[in-house]
Amino acid sequence: MNKNSNDHIISIMVDNEPGVLARVVGLFSGRGYNIQSLSVSEVDSDKFLSRITIVTSGTKVIIDQIKAQLLKLIPVHNLVDLSEESSFIGKELVLVKVENMKKNRKKTFDIANKYNVSILNHSKKELILEMVGTPIEITIFLKKIRPVGIIEITRSGLVSMSLGRDYIKKFI
Amino acid sequence: MQKLFFILDVYDEYLVYFRIMRKFFTGAELVIECLIQENVKVIFGYPGGAVLPIYDELFKQNSIRHILVRHEQAAVHAAEGYSRSTGKTGVVLVTSGPGATNTVTGLADAMMDSIPIVCISGQVPTHMIGNDAFQEADIVGITRPCTKHNFLIKDVKKLPEVIHSGFNIASKGRPGPVLIDIPKDIQTFKTRYNGKKSLLKKLTYKPKVLKNHDHIDEAVKMISDSVRPMLYIGGGIINSGEKASKELLNLIEKTGFPFTQTLMGLGAAPTSHPNFLGMLGMHGTFEANQAMHKCDLLICIGARFDDRITGKVSGFSPNSKKIHIDIDPSSFNKSVNVDITLQGDLKLVLSKINKLLLQKKIKFSSEKYSDWFKLLSKWKKKDCLKFKKSEKIIKPQHAIKRLDELTKHLNPFFTTEVGQHQMWAAQYLTFNKPRHWMTSGGLGTMGYGLPAAMGVQIAHRNALVIDVAGEASILMNIQEMSTLIQYRLPVKIFILNNHYMGMVRQWQELLHGNRLSESYMDSLPDFVKLAESFGAVGLRAKKPSDLDDMIKEMIRVKRPVIFDVWVDQKENCFPMIPSGSTHDQMLLGPDDKVDDAISEDGMVLV
Repeated sequence: MNKNSNDHIISIMVDNEPGVLARVVGLFSGRGYNIQSLSVSEVDSDKFLSRITIVTSGTKVIIDQIKAQLLKLIPVHNLVDLSEESSFIGKELVLVKVENMKKNRKKTFDIANKYNVSILNHSKKELILEMVGTPIEITIFLKKIRPVGIIEITRSGLVSMSLGRDYIKKFI
Repeated sequence: MQKLFFILDVYDEYLVYFRIMRKFFTGAELVIECLIQENVKVIFGYPGGAVLPIYDELFKQNSIRHILVRHEQAAVHAAEGYSRSTGKTGVVLVTSGPGATNTVTGLADAMMDSIPIVCISGQVPTHMIGNDAFQEADIVGITRPCTKHNFLIKDVKKLPEVIHSGFNIASKGRPGPVLIDIPKDIQTFKTRYNGKKSLLKKLTYKPKVLKNHDHIDEAVKMISDSVRPMLYIGGGIINSGEKASKELLNLIEKTGFPFTQTLMGLGAAPTSHPNFLGMLGMHGTFEANQAMHKCDLLICIGARFDDRITGKVSGFSPNSKKIHIDIDPSSFNKSVNVDITLQGDLKLVLSKINKLLLQKKIKFSSEKYSDWFKLLSKWKKKDCLKFKKSEKIIKPQHAIKRLDELTKHLNPFFTTEVGQHQMWAAQYLTFNKPRHWMTSGGLGTMGYGLPAAMGVQIAHRNALVIDVAGEASILMNIQEMSTLIQYRLPVKIFILNNHYMGMVRQWQELLHGNRLSESYMDSLPDFVKLAESFGAVGLRAKKPSDLDDMIKEMIRVKRPVIFDVWVDQKENCFPMIPSGSTHDQMLLGPDDKVDDAISEDGMVLV
C-alpha cells in the first residue's frame, strides 16, 4: 500500500468494555483531531480485547500527541503506528448494489472479473458485488462500475497489519 | 521490634479476615468497607434517592466522617482542598441526576489541576437506565472528558474491584478525578468480599514512574554547559510529594540556579529563597519573565507550558535549550518543542540527576554565572510589584501584604477564588512549604476558594486557613458558610471588595474600549450582616489604618469570619503580559502604553 506521508494508520488494542469506543472517538473530537476511517471489532474473546484501526492525518507533533493521549486512556493496552512500520497491508471491504440490466450485464461481469469482485446476490433487478482491496483500488473500481448504475454503496473502514511479528509483543 | 510489627500485621489481617470474610455484603456495605480499606477518613457529600442505601450504611458506622455540604460542586472542591493540603485522595458521595451533574465543574477542575478525587454517584436502578427515569442522567457519558477515568457498575461482584481500581487510578501516575456510578439496585444486591489484598492483581493500572533515561547524561551535560540557566517549576513537584521538594531544593542549592514557579507550583520550593525570581507568566514578575526569555537553558520540572505561562508560543524563550521532566508523556512537545524529555516521577528523576551531578563532580562556580546574576539583579531592581501607597484608601496589594506579614509566623493555608485577588495573592504572599496554597489554576473556577478552605480546615483542625476572595467569586459558593457553622470550621474569608469583577473589567479596559459590559455588581450583600445571619463573625475595613487591627482580630476569633476589605476600585493587576505577546513585552503599570501592546491576534485569545 502506498505511503502517504500525512496519513497515519493507528492500530489500538483496547479492553472490550462498554464506552471504550466513545472514549477513543471522544478524544479525537474533543481535541479537534481528524478521523478519516475507523473500524473496530473484538479480536480476542478470552482476554476481552478489541482492536481499533483509525486512519488519521496531521503533522508529526499532532500524531505524537494523538498517540500520547490515546495511551493515557485506561482501557487502551497499547498501540502501533502501522505507517511507521517498514511494510504493512491495509484493506477495506466494499459492497455495491448495482442495476442488473441486460444491456450492461456483460460490462458488469467484465469489471467484476478484472477487479476480482465476487457477486454475492444475483436477482432479477439488482446485483450485489463485494470487493476487498486497498482504498485506492476500491475507489478506482467504484469509478469504473458507476456507469452501470449504482443503487447503494457501503464501505468498511480500513483494517491493517504489519508484516513480520516483532511488534506484536509490545502491542499486546 | 520488627518481629512485633510482623505479629501486629498478622493480627491485623486476622481481624480483617473475621470482620469481612465468610459474609455476604450488600453493595452499599461494600462501598463503606472498601472506603475503610482505602484508609478513607472523611467524605464530602449530599444525600438523595439513589444513594440512600449507602447513606444508611454510613449511619451505622464510625470509621468514616461524612461532611454534609450545601451544594455538590462544593463537595468536590472541598475534597480537592482536603487532597491538596494532605496528599491523600479526596472522596465525594452524591446522588444521581442533578447531584451528579453538579459535580461536573469540580471534576473538570480536579482534572485540569491533576488532583486525585474519587467521586461516587448514585444511579437509577439498572433496569431503568436509558428510560429517562426520575433523576436520571448519563453521568458516565457526561463526565467522560472531564475525568481521568469513570465506571458504571453493572454487577455487584465487580464493585470492590472497581472501587479499589478507582483509588489506584486517581492517585497513581499523573493524578486525576475518577467517577464511579453505582445503580441503586446494585447497592442492595449481595456478594462476597475478601479484602483489598485479594484484588491487588486486578489493579492493572501501573503507569511508568521511572524509565531508562537514554538522554539523562546529555541533560547533565547541558546543565554543566549552560551559563544562563533557569528552572521553571510547576505543580508536579507538589503532586510528587515532599521528597520531590527536597530533591528540588537540593538541586537549587547545589547548582545555585535561579528558579521561578507557576501558579500551581508556588511553595514547591520556598518562595523566600534568594534564588526565587517570583511567579512567571501573564501576571508574573518582570525578572522571572525576562529570565525565561533570555536564558540559554530552560529546565521545566513538572509544568506543562500552559498558555498563561508561555504567552505567544513562537516567541517563547527563543534562545534556550530546553529540558522537560514530567510524569505524563502527553505533556511533552504539546505546545513548546523541547530538546530533551525525561519521563518519570519527579522525585526519582531529580534524585537521579542530583546523583549524576555529584558523581561527575560538576562545579558550579559563581564566576561562571556572574554575568547572568548581574542581569537578574538588574531586572529585579525594576521592583515590578511596587504600587502607589495611599493613606486614604486601602490598596488591594497593601491588604494582601499586611495579611502576609501578620500571618506568616502561623504558617497558614491559603485558598483563593479566581480573578485579580488571586493574582495579587500569588504575587504578594509567602509560601515556604508545599501544600499550603490551594487555587484553581487550570480551569479557573470562581467559587473554588471557600469550599476548598473548608476541606483544608477539616484536614487541619487547628491550622489557620484563609480564603482570599473577591466579592463576586465568594457569592458563587456562599451557601457553604452554613457548612462552616455546622462543623465549627474557623475558616477566614478575606474579601478584597472592589464592587467589580475586577479581572473582567481589566480586560474590558485594555481590549474593549473601556466599555464595562456587565462587570459591575450593583446590589452586593452587606457582608458583615451576611456573616452574622449565618452565625459567623463579620468584619469590615474601609481605611488603611483599620487594616492591621482587624486582621489581628480576624486571626484571634476562633470562629468563621468574613472580613470585608473595601479596596481601591480602580486598581488593576500588574505586571501583565497582554495576550498574544511575548515575555519581553510586559506592561509594568497602568501608565504603560497598551495600544501597541495588543495585536489583533491577541484579541481573540482568552
